[in-house]
Amino acid sequence: MAFHILARFDGEAKFAVVVFVLLALIPAALGGYTTYILPQYMCFGILAMSLALLWGYTGILSFGQAGFFAIGGYLMGLVLSGAIPFGGFVVALLLAAGLGYVVAALLGYFLFSAGVRDAYFVIVTLALSIIVEQLAVSQSQLTGGWNGMFVMRPEVDLVVAKVNLYGDLPAFYTVLAIVALVYVLLHVYTRSRHGKILVGIRENEARLTSLGVNTAWKKTLAFALSGAVAAFGGALYAMHSGFVSPSLGGVLFSTEVVVWVAIAGRTSLLGALLGGIAVSWLSSIISAWTPAYWQLFVGLIFIVTIVFFRDGVAGAIAQISRKRRSKT
Amino acid sequence: MAVLGILIDATLITLVMALAASGLAVVFGLIGVINMGHGAMLTLGAYLTWAATGAGIPFVPAVLLAALGVGFIGLLLEHFLIRYFYDRPFETLLLTWGFFLVSTEVIKIIFGPDFRSVASPLPGTIEAFGQSIPAYRATVAGLSLVVLTTIGLVYKKTSFGLRVRALVQNREVASLMGQDVSMLYKQVFVAGAFLSGLAGALIAPMLSIDPYIGNVYLVRSFFVVTLGGLGLLVEGTIVGSIVIAGSETFFSLVTGQVFAQSIVFVFAVVLLRFFPRGILASRN
Amino acid sequence: MTKISDSTGIGRRGFLKGGTALGAAALVSPWLANSAKAADAIRVGVISPLTGAWTVYGQAHMAGFELAVDEINAAGGIDGRPMEIVVADSKTEPRIVVEQANRLLRQDRVDFLAGTFSSAERNAAGPVVAQANKLMFYPTFYEGQSQEFHPGVCNKNMFMIGPEPSQQVWPHVEYMVKNYGKKFFLIGSDYAWPRETNKMFKEKFAEYDGEVVGEVYIPFNTPEYKSVLRDIRNSGADVVFHSLTGSDTVNFRRQFHAAGMNKDIVIWTVDDEEVVTSGLGPEASAGTYVSFDYFMSINTDNNKVFLDKLFKKFGNDTLMNTVGVGMYNSAHLLAQAISAAGSTDTDKVRDAVRGSSFDMAPQGSITVQAADHQAILPSYLMKVREDWTSVNDMFEQIQFQDKVTPAPARCDLPL
Repeated sequence: MAFHILARFDGEAKFAVVVFVLLALIPAALGGYTTYILPQYMCFGILAMSLALLWGYTGILSFGQAGFFAIGGYLMGLVLSGAIPFGGFVVALLLAAGLGYVVAALLGYFLFSAGVRDAYFVIVTLALSIIVEQLAVSQSQLTGGWNGMFVMRPEVDLVVAKVNLYGDLPAFYTVLAIVALVYVLLHVYTRSRHGKILVGIRENEARLTSLGVNTAWKKTLAFALSGAVAAFGGALYAMHSGFVSPSLGGVLFSTEVVVWVAIAGRTSLLGALLGGIAVSWLSSIISAWTPAYWQLFVGLIFIVTIVFFRDGVAGAIAQISRKRRSKT
Repeated sequence: MAVLGILIDATLITLVMALAASGLAVVFGLIGVINMGHGAMLTLGAYLTWAATGAGIPFVPAVLLAALGVGFIGLLLEHFLIRYFYDRPFETLLLTWGFFLVSTEVIKIIFGPDFRSVASPLPGTIEAFGQSIPAYRATVAGLSLVVLTTIGLVYKKTSFGLRVRALVQNREVASLMGQDVSMLYKQVFVAGAFLSGLAGALIAPMLSIDPYIGNVYLVRSFFVVTLGGLGLLVEGTIVGSIVIAGSETFFSLVTGQVFAQSIVFVFAVVLLRFFPRGILASRN
Repeated sequence: MTKISDSTGIGRRGFLKGGTALGAAALVSPWLANSAKAADAIRVGVISPLTGAWTVYGQAHMAGFELAVDEINAAGGIDGRPMEIVVADSKTEPRIVVEQANRLLRQDRVDFLAGTFSSAERNAAGPVVAQANKLMFYPTFYEGQSQEFHPGVCNKNMFMIGPEPSQQVWPHVEYMVKNYGKKFFLIGSDYAWPRETNKMFKEKFAEYDGEVVGEVYIPFNTPEYKSVLRDIRNSGADVVFHSLTGSDTVNFRRQFHAAGMNKDIVIWTVDDEEVVTSGLGPEASAGTYVSFDYFMSINTDNNKVFLDKLFKKFGNDTLMNTVGVGMYNSAHLLAQAISAAGSTDTDKVRDAVRGSSFDMAPQGSITVQAADHQAILPSYLMKVREDWTSVNDMFEQIQFQDKVTPAPARCDLPL
């Protein structure tokens, strides 16, 4: 039965399995600090995937994904600190996804139903991340304002076992498992009928509309889903990093995600996931000693990618492997 | 009396906003380039002015040099990148965003991250209508009107403007009629960059200069141009500025500075949703 | 000796090979960092705003610490062991501070931390040092300690080497009220430091029947102050008590000056030290009152010696301020305590710091209180001169109070 399922999976999925296995081996291979910090980058990877879903698959660019990330993060903080008096870690994750979904759905419908699209939509999402950041700052009774919000790591009761997420190892594997699960779900979704419609919107929205598909509705769904994923990622991040601040939802971070996904490959979920992890990881290391040059380098790579490698690194790899396959 | 003070403030802010948005009105409004580097051009204008005045060049020539400098940078950007992507708005959006990223880091590397300031060439105030009006700010507001009027005149009354209008109406027809379309695009883009640089240069003495100074005007400029109506160079920019800058002044009276910024953007998004082709255009 | 946590340009090659290769390349760096550790050195992690909104303060911040470490090492180190700095850039962002603090403690295995600049950054580092049980020295003027903000303050692993409002503000309220009037307008950036500082200010202010005619908090990166300026004018204020930071303070003060308001209303700032005032220029800054525990122009013997060494190391144009001096003092206090404790064990060093004094502090001898970890510091009120030309003639000393004991910290004491 397992073999049957495996056989259905394409090349990307097989590569994904390898990736997750490698990630699982990291604590044993690389020790303390990496085990501590990597899950946070994995959460950024979830954020990147949410953008890939929206931009790579549906063709809608958003400069505001981080806003949902922050919303999820603050929600997790509020639940875990007791300010929201019910639920625990798992409930908070689901609530965050739900909240992200609802907010994005309302917003999306408001805009898409009037035909706000393309460049206008981008500008609106840019404005939104400014708004989210300012809201997070001004509602300081709720969010802690610029001081940020501390989030204590919880002990999770999974009925079968109690997992104390305070330790680095349990936290690492919990996050890894969740990220893998999110990836699988999204992967399956993009290959479903729904997912294919999204691609249809990206390729030729007019044609779909003439076929009677309510594209505004579908776009709203895509936006809602990406909002849910981003918020989920943010909630997970908040639990792990222990700290949420307004800049997590702001313009700079939102636009950073676009850069990661553009370079890594917007049409590939796995590419986006790895891109999110890799670039943020590299950034934190290299910008320790040469921040301006690193950012300059990233900016230049970004431009090069847009001009020559529209599908990013993942796309380039896919092309190479296709060429190789066609040669044999 | 207080009302008069508010009106004067609002007028000054609106005109400064219009000046800041003018470059984008030209580039986005006329040739559809979603210039996410607009803020960066403003910033460059400010830094070049600082460098020029620091080198001893008097203020007015410094401003002109800075604007020309940004125009030149715009020329390079257009020639090597943008001109291949006019028919792909998403790519231009991303490329100009890349330009913003790169130019911001270059500024940090060359000029360092410290705050810079350009001394105000007209310190002091003008006493008028019982109010103390900062002299320099009033001058910039006046210059804004001059710039906008000039843009309007060039667009409506010169042969160059005629060719650009033909281009805006219908690119294919313009090309069929023998216009050198790619040269026109180039000229318009460079003009827009020049205007953005000019705005940054003129605004420089009013603010502390840091690598992100122009970005405050980026999103606002987009709203100004889109709410005013793409292609309505003068009327659109003014109407859009009144909406954005004016509403911010109004909201900050009612809710205080903190909320005003957020509310203005919410207000702008809502307006954009209901007037997707601009407040003026929708009248037609 | 400064060592920056290392990783070579492995990343570039990795980029083109896909995500996993990238990850693998980056992972080599912790190994590199640890193996390059100098034998026996006492490593201190310094978190400094090297990039981001408050970079302008970052240079003095780092310079003060570096100068101290040079001195300590030149004198033979701490009982023979050299002190080594490991730098981390906070990007003026609390989120990055959490990340960097963890990196310094877990990966670079530093023994102590020093720095962060803003209160928000410090609050982010609080839980990290509490959980890791490592000590951190915080150099910046701040809003005082209140248990509500634990573990950002009231944290037994933190030492507060900069002044808090009862030291920076209270000694001068009487002077300002008597000389300028009772109506004060409070304007500050929108975060903990200005808000709490204003709270404490108002306590003292009430003693002189002061009237707060306005109180506004400005979000960061606000370029326009027209409406605020109008409110200030309409309020009839005599003094503007100012706690804006970053580029906002420059924008506000320039526009205040451009509107001609400095003729009728005086500004008393608790934020604009030498660096910011230099950036403002003589016209926009003249006549403003500034209060801190240290200025470059203060006339103590220690300061002359300090500035000499500073200029020799960094050049005659170097700017120094209260924060840089806070870092300088922190390094020395730490070194003294490690020596006195005979070990780098956190609990032993903590006990050694408590109640200790550093006599060569540029502002004169300072002492760290045992109960609440706050330093006892002098307080200077300066006025910016007309037409100043450099830091040497920038400030005119109006009054000063030595060894100001801070108000009791609102913490669960003892820490």
